Amino acid sequence: MTNRPDAPSAETLAASPGGAPAGTPDGAAERRSWLRDHSELGVCVLLLALGVLVLTDVLTMDVDIAQRGPVGPRTVPLVVGAGLLAVAVLLAVDVLRGGRGEAESGEDVDLSEPADWRTVLLLAGVFLATAVLIEPLGFPVAGALLFWGAAFALGSRHHDRDPLIAAVLSFLTYAVFDKLLGVPLPGGPLMGVL
Amino acid sequence: MDALSSLLDGFATALTPVNLLWAVLGVLLGTAIGVLPGIGPAMAVALLLPVTYGLEPTGAFIMFAGIYYGAMFGGSTTSILLNTPGESAAVVAAMEGNPMAKAGRGAQALAAAAVGHFAGGMIGTILLVALAPAVADLAVDIGAPDYFAIMVLAFIAVTSVLGASRIRGLASLLIGLTLGLVGLDQMTGQQRLTFGSLQLADGVDVVIVAVGLFAIGEALWVAAHLRRTSGRPIPVGRPWLDRGDVRRTWKSWLRGPFIGFPFGAIPAGGAEIPTFLSYVTEKRLSKHKDEWGKGAIEGVAGPESAASASAAGTLVSMLTLGLPTTAVAAVMLAAFQQYGIQPGPLLFEREPDLVWGLIASLFVGMVLLLALNLPLAPLWAKLLRIPRPYLYAGILFFAAVGAYAVGGEVVDLVILLFIGLIGFGMRRYGLPVLPAVIGVILGPNAEQQLRRALQISDGSVTGLVDTPFSVTVYVVVLLILAWPLLKRFTGRGRAGRAGSGGVGGSGE
Amino acid sequence: MRLRTPLALFGAAVLVLAGPPLLTTGSGSETGTQIPGLRLMVPNTPGGGYDITARTAAKNAEDAGLTHNIEVFNLPGAGGTVGLTRLVSEHGNGKLAMSMGLGVVGAARSNHSPKTLSDTTPIARLTEEPDVVVVAKDSPYETIGQLVDAWKRTPGKLPVGGGSSPGGPDHLAPMLMAEAAGIAPKQVNYVPFDGGGELLASILGNKVAFGVSGVGEYLDQIKAGELRLLAVTGPERVDGLDAPTLREAGYDVDFTNWRGVVAPPGLSDAERSKLTRLFEELHDSDEWRESMKQNGWDDAFLTGDEFGAFLEAQDARVVKVLKELGL
Repeated sequence: MTNRPDAPSAETLAASPGGAPAGTPDGAAERRSWLRDHSELGVCVLLLALGVLVLTDVLTMDVDIAQRGPVGPRTVPLVVGAGLLAVAVLLAVDVLRGGRGEAESGEDVDLSEPADWRTVLLLAGVFLATAVLIEPLGFPVAGALLFWGAAFALGSRHHDRDPLIAAVLSFLTYAVFDKLLGVPLPGGPLMGVL
Repeated sequence: MDALSSLLDGFATALTPVNLLWAVLGVLLGTAIGVLPGIGPAMAVALLLPVTYGLEPTGAFIMFAGIYYGAMFGGSTTSILLNTPGESAAVVAAMEGNPMAKAGRGAQALAAAAVGHFAGGMIGTILLVALAPAVADLAVDIGAPDYFAIMVLAFIAVTSVLGASRIRGLASLLIGLTLGLVGLDQMTGQQRLTFGSLQLADGVDVVIVAVGLFAIGEALWVAAHLRRTSGRPIPVGRPWLDRGDVRRTWKSWLRGPFIGFPFGAIPAGGAEIPTFLSYVTEKRLSKHKDEWGKGAIEGVAGPESAASASAAGTLVSMLTLGLPTTAVAAVMLAAFQQYGIQPGPLLFEREPDLVWGLIASLFVGMVLLLALNLPLAPLWAKLLRIPRPYLYAGILFFAAVGAYAVGGEVVDLVILLFIGLIGFGMRRYGLPVLPAVIGVILGPNAEQQLRRALQISDGSVTGLVDTPFSVTVYVVVLLILAWPLLKRFTGRGRAGRAGSGGVGGSGE
Repeated sequence: MRLRTPLALFGAAVLVLAGPPLLTTGSGSETGTQIPGLRLMVPNTPGGGYDITARTAAKNAEDAGLTHNIEVFNLPGAGGTVGLTRLVSEHGNGKLAMSMGLGVVGAARSNHSPKTLSDTTPIARLTEEPDVVVVAKDSPYETIGQLVDAWKRTPGKLPVGGGSSPGGPDHLAPMLMAEAAGIAPKQVNYVPFDGGGELLASILGNKVAFGVSGVGEYLDQIKAGELRLLAVTGPERVDGLDAPTLREAGYDVDFTNWRGVVAPPGLSDAERSKLTRLFEELHDSDEWRESMKQNGWDDAFLTGDEFGAFLEAQDARVVKVLKELGL
């Protein structure tokens, strides 16, 4: 299912430390690759947005209770918000000067391949679906779907084994939490029917 | 000495077959439940409270002690193996423990944690016996200005975990501080960054942040770059610590308690800050700096030992002052009251059998825990040999259970995913994750103590430096800050080397 | 081979759908006080006051054979407001109740919660407990009169420590006290602490001029002489404690913290009276009496509409104090 995008290894370029830009692209492609190369500027934008958000929250806050002392509920957010703006600018300068954040490596991580966005989106989608389904369908069903869906997204294709493992795991977790420990989890639509 | 003979009497109580049985049962139950996602020691003790209702008080509290220590150890097990800390004290254990586990050294990480717990608990409990009255007096003298001074020191220490790129580390720290701002302002009840949502009013739990950034972020990041070619399972490696490991860690085990115990005993201490300070100390002192972030065993041994000793410190304040310094202590205090026993200044006189039996059973519990968990470590570590899709699906599953089970709120799952996506982005662009977690822990604490100190002094800034303790800490801070300058004068410092989060050996 | 996948799917589906209901043990019939599947929500963390009340009540009810297996669970957040909101949203659920008290009334107001306790079905008030005004044993203040005189002169210099956030019981008590002494509540330098632990240390260490907290929390420290008790806030003196009430000392304050149980809105009369009867029987049981003695709680049993009227009055009182503070 590995869905390879045709652009060869732009991810790798951005990800590799001090990425030596690849060979011989022409005009438009060059600009695109510059953007790819400097995609970290997106982080600066996000930090900037976060800083603005924090500062907006501070400024719209109506301090309605008798505040005592020089440091009120606004002071610290003000400092943090300003810090975010400053870091966003400094990071942008760093990126434009050629600084690169090094993508994290690890045992299971293969940075020589392009990022597989489909899997990431699938996983996030499955997780979100679980959050939506957990109340109407109950924990055992939603939990099993989460495990099975995640295993599927990560490339497991044992159509007979996977759902059973997921169901058993989810059901056992439900039994331990709800029955043994008394931590309530929703049981599902058939509760009280059977 | 008087305490010593009382302690011997205590052992006589703790070592009766029946009480020994309760201790074993407590340790087993505590470990089993502590391993479950989302259930920290406080929750474990609260959930198991009814189990002990049938027992007489001494037996019940011996069992409690077992549950408490067992749950703490169980929490670090999941932290190390699955990167999903179940409680805030176990967050730091994931930092070095999980990379170790990934590299096939899970058994060693667990063993280092187990011995760390043992050493920390032992030393902590000895300190408890020897120093309880003195420490209790001292704990009362520590006030808001002193706490704030410690927070400043901790913020200085953060600089050593910022990683290779200072600016990216700072960005991460600020993200953490921002997350820490969410919720009701503790001093005035003002809502901050809650966007009107009551679910956000209590702020974002450190555990949710840690599980989101560590576990979910990691799972998504791995999903994007899953090594599909090799399919090589994680090697199991040797089951035990070898001499090299022990030589590296014994000092860490011994240092941890002296950081953890005092923090446990003081009212606003807890285990988060000492585990973090122990981590930073070990990193500073380590001869293997290049391994940090990729599985340095000292980074597991020290913090775990500190966490366990802090638990012993917690008991000091609870038994001698009736002062619950952590959630677990609050639950145990409630349990004491169930039996009509009021911990506090009179407890040692009124219920000597119970108190000394409890203290003796702490030693017994520690030995049991070590005996139970050392052999289990290699078995636990084998858990990681299951195929990758199942492993990461399982991590997502348990992270979700942990986030949902506690409050039964769907919003928590959405927050968890959101923080997971932040963690994914941070990995992609080389922002280290640890400073963010530290920011969530330190930020709210520091702000609260600062404002409380200023309020007590009625707004006068001198209120921050009006105790000898706080002045001492600030002097230490100044020395640390001046140190690089001094070094520059005496000789050229070495060129900064890459710290954590380096790309290092990304090849095979 | 082809058949195995559908079979596995079917097996999995059966397990996760039919498993949970089958796991539920056939719980008893709904006779007498038996309410099978009753759940008791605690709107704060394990170890807190509502938690202890709920777990004690559940255990006593089971021991007394009133009902089986009451499930106690915690849903903390915003001083109880998150739990309150959830309770109100469970319209018509006769198998749910929430342990609560004055703190939840205050939190709902200070958090500007859209749901208040008037949206719930009041079941019973169970216990009450006065607050105490305490100082360290080496404090310069020997009597409540000395303390209040000093407090009047420089309210800002005498920080008051309490275990609850603004709007909670330990916040309301000193505010009412200040008002009675002629100090504007806005002048009071109230320092909130997380629960009793940090507060106790701050009082013992003279970090705050005096502390206000529930009597049960510091009983032992008072008896051991570590804390000096200056006054109790309730209408009567506390047995075994040598301190006047605030009213005896000349300050017109009558303040007790209380705890009780409320249920979701929209209950049928039958459901409501069933829940009320359960707590009536609990109140009459020896087990509950024994627990109250052990925990030092005072009996304050009140049910039905009277409890509802009491809730309204408490709510009005909270609103009044908070308004004076400008909330």
